Amino acid sequence: MLSLRISASSGVPVYLQLEQQIKQAIASGLLQSGDPLPSTRRTAADLRINPNTVARAFQNLEREGVIRTVPGGGTFVASLASLAPGLLKTEKLRRLRPLAEQLAVEASQLQLPSTDVHKLLDAALNDLIKSRRTKSSGDDQ
Amino acid sequence: MTSYAIQTSALVKTYGIGSKATRAVDGLNLNVPEGSIYGLLGRNSAGKTTTIRMAMGLAHPTSGDIKVFGLNPARDPERVTVLRQVGYVPEDKMLAALSPRKLLELNRNFYPETWSDDLARKVIKRLELPLDTAFIKLSLGNKTKSALACAIAQRSRLLILDEPTTGLDPIALDELLRLLVEDCTAPIGDKPRTIFLSSHQLAEIEQIADHIGIMDRGRILLEGPLDDIRSSFRRLTVTGAALPTTHPGILSIRQQAHATQYILQSAPEAFAQDLIANGATIVESNPMSLNEIFLELCRTSESTAADREEEFA
Repeated sequence: MLSLRISASSGVPVYLQLEQQIKQAIASGLLQSGDPLPSTRRTAADLRINPNTVARAFQNLEREGVIRTVPGGGTFVASLASLAPGLLKTEKLRRLRPLAEQLAVEASQLQLPSTDVHKLLDAALNDLIKSRRTKSSGDDQ
Repeated sequence: MTSYAIQTSALVKTYGIGSKATRAVDGLNLNVPEGSIYGLLGRNSAGKTTTIRMAMGLAHPTSGDIKVFGLNPARDPERVTVLRQVGYVPEDKMLAALSPRKLLELNRNFYPETWSDDLARKVIKRLELPLDTAFIKLSLGNKTKSALACAIAQRSRLLILDEPTTGLDPIALDELLRLLVEDCTAPIGDKPRTIFLSSHQLAEIEQIADHIGIMDRGRILLEGPLDDIRSSFRRLTVTGAALPTTHPGILSIRQQAHATQYILQSAPEAFAQDLIANGATIVESNPMSLNEIFLELCRTSESTAADREEEFA
């Protein structure tokens, strides 16, 4: 079950918080391709936030191919298999570069050596793979 | 083209005459887009309620213009067309002295085309409104709930809420936010619906509003989409020599022991890049909450108003 949470004081725009959490849920296997997402208004009412904010997050995710909307039929998680290989590597790098820059800035401000940054990133990737594996073996049972 | 639920231009409302006259609203330009949840924020006596009363035709402008759906709410028969499309919760919650059940029945008869009994029941249940308590025995919170139930069940094209959180406990407030999003924003037919609310409860407004107007001394200090406002304000803590003191983006500057703090109100990234290019170091760069933006704007406007008074003295 997808549970979204909004932090008003984090300074991160609410639509970005939603996008990140949905992407995270997909990356960790909590949401799988074809799973339905709650409607814009349902999501907005549950979180007590503006429906336009939710719509903006969904539109961005749809533009990136993360979710797809069936006219009159709701919103679903797009299949990762059809999305990821379809993108050119340059496009994937383009999308990730700002995040890498942000990580680099924070790390240099904290004076964390580059090897530790790499370890941190590897650990995060491993965690995702692990949680995806537990999730799918849980589904088999 | 954007159409507006409420629009004012150079709106002025003066109370009293001669030396005792006060300008409650002083040249107000307000634009409330249709389909938005618009939060009107301001300190006490900023002119919020006076503005709302003019939108409802309850007060007449001294000069300037106010339009609701392009119509003049101060003049019949346009006023009638306006009022049929507007749900209103007044600030003082002074309603007809009726029990909630009787008040709902009264309102139901006023708006037969749009009224929903199902929605009335839902609001009563969610807000836990006691239906048969006599008006004089209702707490302030229950008077608020009573007024809210009537306004929401009316399913109007425009909902005007003047301090709708008065007397509500945190649970009721949370339920109200949910009701507003769930039942007051979906278009009816092809007509988008608008919520216009005034409040001091900045955190709640920040959650549900997509447009904001900040009012002070009868004027608008800042108006626009909340996302735009958030991305144009920033707090920078900077160290360096010969830091700039004038720049169109600077709202305020504070000298601290070892650093200078800038509050920026537009293009913060460009300003930060300029600083770095000139050899300064940015120690911290933080986004600001609506509450912080509100406080900064009101303080700055206060100090400029004080400067102006000194010039006249």
